[in-house]
Amino acid sequence: MQWTTIFKKELLENWRNFKWIWVPIVFILFAIMDPLTAYFLPRILETVGGLPEGATIDFPMPSVAEAMMMSFNQLGMIGVLITIVISMGLVSSELKSGVYELILSKPVSYTNYITAKFTSILLLVSVALLASILVAWYYINILFGSISFTQILISTFFFIIYFMLILGIVMLFNTFFKSQGMVAFLSIVTIIAINAITSIYSHVLTWSPGLISDYIGVYFYSGEIETETWFSLAIAIILTIICLMIAITTLKNRAIE
Amino acid sequence: MDSQLIQLLLPIIILQFILIIIALIDLKRVEATRGPKWLWVLIIILGNLAGPIIYFIIGRRP
Repeated sequence: MQWTTIFKKELLENWRNFKWIWVPIVFILFAIMDPLTAYFLPRILETVGGLPEGATIDFPMPSVAEAMMMSFNQLGMIGVLITIVISMGLVSSELKSGVYELILSKPVSYTNYITAKFTSILLLVSVALLASILVAWYYINILFGSISFTQILISTFFFIIYFMLILGIVMLFNTFFKSQGMVAFLSIVTIIAINAITSIYSHVLTWSPGLISDYIGVYFYSGEIETETWFSLAIAIILTIICLMIAITTLKNRAIE
Repeated sequence: MDSQLIQLLLPIIILQFILIIIALIDLKRVEATRGPKWLWVLIIILGNLAGPIIYFIIGRRP
């Protein structure tokens, strides 16, 4: 009841500042940009010219799986950045402006407050991801060849879990600092650190959430889901829950102060 | 061949156009921005894809 009220308020706010429109559009544009450029690269070079007479270049046309991974990689970079940016002020800006004290002076539980905000932004990012990957899939179907729809849905689901972890991390830092820039900076550093550590010790940390997009790639190339995928997904979910729990406790401690 | 190119690029152009329009509507409604509003109009219109994104991320002042 109380949870739904905050949730609806968040959805309305995201709708009013057009997040529901611009985030999906930007995700879609970035998802289709790379496969399209790869497809048209020979022709772009031809038009731009500058090649010596008689020069022939053979570009290997990317395979379907490669093209699809281009979209995923692009979303894994730009998409993550945008996700951090749109969620960096969720709690911290309310802490700063004092809206937070206004809300919590009413009998609103901290758990409801955090989870409702988290769910609303997760819903937004999931819809954006799903839309962008479906559009990319449509384009790749036309340009490169077919890839199965269930494969797309399952890998999107994996990717959403990865983004859920990112949102969890951002929510955690949101309760620590009042400055949005600080939240964004530390979230990016944390995510880069996770990815760096994972790629250095990738043979040991096979369950690391940083490998989720690699496992999606494997799934596209081989058509089979590796067992480790499930472990890294589980770890991502557990870490998200831990992040949210710490966030809730931090807020409680803030109230006592 | 060229009509195929247009068919493929048309959705992208439409999406970019929507993005620009949305950014402009938002710019008109919002009370204060970081920096002068006319500058943001230029950035949104001339900034290609990055213009509206930059506006949405750092342009609005809460």
